[in-house]
Amino acid sequence: MDIAALRHEMPPDVDALPALLDRLEAFAEAAGLSPRTTQHLTLVAEELAANVAMHAAGATMLRITVSREHDSVRLVIEDDGPAFDPLSVAGPDLDSGVETRQIGGLGVHFVRTMTRSAAYERRDGLNRVTALLDAG
Amino acid sequence: MQIAEHREGAATVAALEGRLDTATAPATEEKLLSLIQGGPLVADMSGVRYVSSAGLRVLLKAAKQARTKGVGFSVCGLQPAVREVFEISGFDKIIPLHATRAEALAAG
Repeated sequence: MDIAALRHEMPPDVDALPALLDRLEAFAEAAGLSPRTTQHLTLVAEELAANVAMHAAGATMLRITVSREHDSVRLVIEDDGPAFDPLSVAGPDLDSGVETRQIGGLGVHFVRTMTRSAAYERRDGLNRVTALLDAG
Repeated sequence: MQIAEHREGAATVAALEGRLDTATAPATEEKLLSLIQGGPLVADMSGVRYVSSAGLRVLLKAAKQARTKGVGFSVCGLQPAVREVFEISGFDKIIPLHATRAEALAAG
């Protein structure tokens, strides 16, 4: 049974991201999540939502659903843009120095590192990423 | 994002407060890059509770520009949750980090 849940719909615009982060922080506080889990949840949600906002030409909506289920936090991000699996992006080269370091792939690296599991599916014309995080 | 500037000798300390994220990255980048034009810069992030990859991109750009200009750039005062983001991304190895503003200024 859900102890706490959040459902947030927004246009896929960068300008709409601060309101999402505000709501995620409020949710995390109400759900009693630790600062570390709060950071992980907010970061994973922002990286995935920003990816849609900046790269998904044709998307008209983003929907974020978060629920706390016992020792887990379930995060679902859906958009109606063209089919795209953000988890298929290659990760960054973590060993390169300041001169050569590229920023690409860092977002998905955070998603992989900070979640217990993350999965993509295309269903009913929507991209859907479902991530499970440890609730600390 | 609030950015307060303090002169400390030849260096500038930029005290950041808020979230360094996709939405705040462009204005923060513009500010930090313009400050680096004036000399060494320390970004005091003790008031930053959250950094995403867009925020790290800003710090990487600042570090690259400082190196090009031959001036110092470092970051101090990371909160634990933000430090973890630096460690997971490997940025703790490419951007000089200091515990306090005083240590950052002493290191030049």
